[in-house]
Amino acid sequence: MIKKEGHRHPITATIAEINDIFSRIGFSLAEGPEMEKELYNFDRLNVAKDHPSRDMQDTFWLKDEYVNEPTVLRTHTSPVQARYMDSHKPPIRIIVPGKVFRNEATDATHEAQFYQLEGLCVDENINLGHLKGVLEYFFSNFLKGEVEVRFRPSYFPFVEPGLEVDMRLLSGESKLKGKWVEIFGAGMVHPNVLRESGIDTEKYTGYAFGGGIDRLIMIKYGIDDVRNLYTGDLRLVNQF
Amino acid sequence: MLISYNWLKDYLGEGLPPVEEVVELLTFHAFEIEGTEEIDGDTQIEVNVLPDRASSCLSHRGIALELAVLLNKKMLDDPLKEEVKFPTYDGFYIEIEDKDDCSRFMLGLMEGVKVGPSPDWLKQRLETLGQRSINNIVDATNYVMYGLGQPMHVYDADIFSKKDGKWSFVVRKAKANEIITLLPEKAGGEDREIELKGTELLVVNKENNKAVALAGIKGGTYAGLHKGTTNIILEAANFNSTLTRRTARNLNILTDASKRFENEVSNTLPPYTMRAIVKLIKEIAGGEFMGMADKYLAPQVLPEVLVRPTRVNQVLGLSLEESFMENVLVRLGAKIDKKEKGWLVTAPKDRVDLVIEENYIDEIGRIYGLANIISIAPEKLPLAEINSNYYYSDKIRSILVSLGFSEIITTSFRDKDQIHLQNALASDKEYIRSSILPELEKALSLNVQNIDVLGLREVKLFEIGTVFIKDDGRAVEHTVLTIGGRIKKTGYSPKDDLIVNEAIKVLKETGFVIEQSAKQGVCEINLTELIYNMPTPDKYEESTPLPNITYQTFSIYPAIVRDIAMWAPEDTAVEEIEKILRENVGELCVRITLFDEFTKDGRTSYAFRLVFQSHEKTLTDAEIDPYMDKIYKVVKEVGFEVR
Repeated sequence: MIKKEGHRHPITATIAEINDIFSRIGFSLAEGPEMEKELYNFDRLNVAKDHPSRDMQDTFWLKDEYVNEPTVLRTHTSPVQARYMDSHKPPIRIIVPGKVFRNEATDATHEAQFYQLEGLCVDENINLGHLKGVLEYFFSNFLKGEVEVRFRPSYFPFVEPGLEVDMRLLSGESKLKGKWVEIFGAGMVHPNVLRESGIDTEKYTGYAFGGGIDRLIMIKYGIDDVRNLYTGDLRLVNQF
Repeated sequence: MLISYNWLKDYLGEGLPPVEEVVELLTFHAFEIEGTEEIDGDTQIEVNVLPDRASSCLSHRGIALELAVLLNKKMLDDPLKEEVKFPTYDGFYIEIEDKDDCSRFMLGLMEGVKVGPSPDWLKQRLETLGQRSINNIVDATNYVMYGLGQPMHVYDADIFSKKDGKWSFVVRKAKANEIITLLPEKAGGEDREIELKGTELLVVNKENNKAVALAGIKGGTYAGLHKGTTNIILEAANFNSTLTRRTARNLNILTDASKRFENEVSNTLPPYTMRAIVKLIKEIAGGEFMGMADKYLAPQVLPEVLVRPTRVNQVLGLSLEESFMENVLVRLGAKIDKKEKGWLVTAPKDRVDLVIEENYIDEIGRIYGLANIISIAPEKLPLAEINSNYYYSDKIRSILVSLGFSEIITTSFRDKDQIHLQNALASDKEYIRSSILPELEKALSLNVQNIDVLGLREVKLFEIGTVFIKDDGRAVEHTVLTIGGRIKKTGYSPKDDLIVNEAIKVLKETGFVIEQSAKQGVCEINLTELIYNMPTPDKYEESTPLPNITYQTFSIYPAIVRDIAMWAPEDTAVEEIEKILRENVGELCVRITLFDEFTKDGRTSYAFRLVFQSHEKTLTDAEIDPYMDKIYKVVKEVGFEVR
């Protein structure tokens, strides 16, 4: 007979799965507004006004008449780092899944809205090895196979050192197996970001990572066009 | 930044490894490489230089130094090494209104040059970088800029009028409504007249108060080079990064020069660049260098940064030897002063980006190789808090899914709504949604048309998402839950309300206080308010993992639906009938759904709906008939009675 159950959207189902994986290692789920102050989206993340790093993200700005201070549609989930550190003291371990926005032309791999996953850990004696370990833990649990993670130098203003994260599935039957995939951006939290939240950078260090949840889903399930995730079409949703 | 492989060879000689190895080295230790392309015996390498390294690496010398450091080799000839000793020329007068806008302004005079075509080697270098050769003098300015990263500008000395016997330059802010005529965007294009706001920085001829360049961005037409030019004034200056960036963006004139200034190229470069260009021009256009004038109002001071080897290892999670770290810093050209508390490190003059300890940790880490970081497995730790908003949103999802609702996520953008965006690129994204309902309606209509393909009797949808409304003139956001039902392809029917109200009833029974009910088959509930009043949860429910599927692209062509009903003996298994249908119906049948079943007089009636759809075209009835004929035949053969 006709199946009685409905279907969760793969994005929220994936977020639930991600939350499961991270909650086991003490990462709390945090959220923040989609309409974000320039202050949190940029300034507090060490992205200075009139700095070339502003060009790295095409930003939707709200009209001045609706807002008391310059406001954007958040371009990443990273502002929640600053918000969370303002209200919590280390040790901090959070993940932030959420919708983000980019003012750019759309195609099969770019949407003006997509979901991002942010991770932040601030504690005593945190180093890049912890970052690598947590990413290997996450990817291998998420893709249900042994995963190798590799770092390459990169730049994001709110981390230093900043790096690109590649991963490679080593086991299982997936088409992904054996191929390096560029997947996340990450790094050690920039001391300016910690200091702005009143965190003692001599005592504490931290790492942060972020990447597209849409991309994780596209890779895992072989979805070829990101736009199909946002049309409300059950011919996609009901496959899951 | 486009890089010529052959040019790197000038710096590194035979020590330069093959292209593939250069790409590999840079990728894992410095920059992402966008691609390589062979051009006329050379290879163009596209290096993605990010803002942290753009002060020194938008140049061949910068990239060559990177490679030298990584290969642990010395550059054959570093143009920044030897101090520049040039005679001073007293026929120049330089005035800088504000040293924050322009920290350095250097001029040089060459007499007796001959403007003409560039030699082939120079043309070829520029071609590798995607640049067209213009003439030897202009090409020389571009060449030294791509070489050392310092933009340059040239004036015709005989056209540039003198004041009190001197060529007199002023660097000052523009006046409101002041006009400057700029050189064309591309050679052969038209001059552009631009009216200025007064925030822009100009280079001005003091004698006639004429703007001769939009500082750091683009030269003016005044005193420009021409075929008969013989005496030239060379300018190498340093302009404020923020100011250059603002002006370039405001006027939308983004140039190679503005890109370098906005990335804060070191102001120690002008003399080295002047030396390089004079040498090059003498070689390719002749002429004599008469001397230079240098107004250096804000000499660069690089900080002494405390770098503690213990801290380096602590942050990288490694146990590197101090001798290795020292070696890396020395290779970079930094100076180390060892103190008890750690090393006081001063960067080489072009590395203005090295200002805090973390910058050096980054340098040591990437040169050692970030691929060598050793992972530390995370520990199992208890959760510090449960997010109530997420917990309840997720709970509602589970409930609605169990009731047969499917979840959608639609666009947050609208072509018209309450909150207007300032700069949306696309006209359908000028506003952000104040409600999910319009998109939900669209999704109901879309999906009800595909109801047979989906194998559903009715469409039941929900979305949880953020909406943006105007409250007292200000934009505010909150989360909503939007639920909708649709049975008929023709649109709303009153039964749709029952679908939605049933869901609301179950949510209420679970403890959610909801007052609304369905209108026109839909309902939108303020979830932020709803959850606010709920008790704090103490743990998350375990999630249900998604099925392990590979996504199938769905057809965009309409489907054809055929029903078949039959009488079968009471004990016949449905699966058996489905198997028979499946085996005989052909590949175009994308779904078989049992939609009716009843038993009478020892026989059971089964009604199936067969949905046919092609990935390539719209099917016709005539294409389906043969399949149906076959099915009827087979069903009869097995002994069932087709109704």
